Amino acid sequence: MATWTWFHRLASPPHVYAFARRWTPWFGGFAALAMVIALYGGLVLAPEDYQQKDAFRMVYVHAPTAWLSLMIYTTMAIAAAVGLIWRMKVAHAAAAACAPIGAWFTVGALGTGMLWGKPMWGAYWVWDPRLTSELVLLFLYFGYMGLRAGIEDPVKADKASAMLAVVGVINVPIIKFSVEWWNSLHQTATVMQLGKPKMNGDMLWPLLLMLLGFLLYFIAVLLIRLRAELLRRERNASWVREVLT
Amino acid sequence: MSEFFAMGGYGKYLWPAFALGFGIVVLNLILALNSLNAARQEARRRLETSQ
Repeated sequence: MATWTWFHRLASPPHVYAFARRWTPWFGGFAALAMVIALYGGLVLAPEDYQQKDAFRMVYVHAPTAWLSLMIYTTMAIAAAVGLIWRMKVAHAAAAACAPIGAWFTVGALGTGMLWGKPMWGAYWVWDPRLTSELVLLFLYFGYMGLRAGIEDPVKADKASAMLAVVGVINVPIIKFSVEWWNSLHQTATVMQLGKPKMNGDMLWPLLLMLLGFLLYFIAVLLIRLRAELLRRERNASWVREVLT
Repeated sequence: MSEFFAMGGYGKYLWPAFALGFGIVVLNLILALNSLNAARQEARRRLETSQ
């Protein structure tokens, strides 16, 4: 059946490896271009905010890192679920490839948030629902990676860590809606909401472009890490011999 | 130019945040490439010993 061909290809390591090798430079190239233009737009062209003045420009680095931290976790959980349900090796490899990237971007979201919090709230850290749930996200990534590292049998490691990833995805909507469910110092959604974004167009386009740049960048880095994962898992397969020689 | 870097007095928070965010962007690319290189070398060694 033709409709299933893509799914079979997605499950085939040599196909995925070849796809990743071919497309990484494109995703990476467009990501860099988008980020540079967005930086210029955000730091130079965008007018200052009437309330936060120039401090609002933090949004151009904080929002993309925070957004990626959640998007990567969601991607990891979906890949893990696909791996569990269809016993697909490539999906488990993709989930494993997501974890370190996601953990780093969670560190980025927390760090840039602290640097934004100090001038706006007067403190680097408060035990606020948004901040605390984002910190829990970091521990979920650490737990996932620690679990994988602690189990020697790769099949068991895939299964156990996938369960953790799937269960932990409950934290994603908690982070997203924490600013609405509880009293939070953190501002509510500006862009990712139903209806019109609450932001002027001159400020908005660099932010959207930066989000796009970070998304493309994530895909590029994920494809590189996925290739590494596939090679580690299939060291003796004949396609490995082909791609390495 | 110095006015641009001052960012209305918020420069001391703004620039470290950008350095951190984009430092992580660069670092993750390097870590991923290192991981791929290591995996390739490992796989190559394994293929050589299995021949």
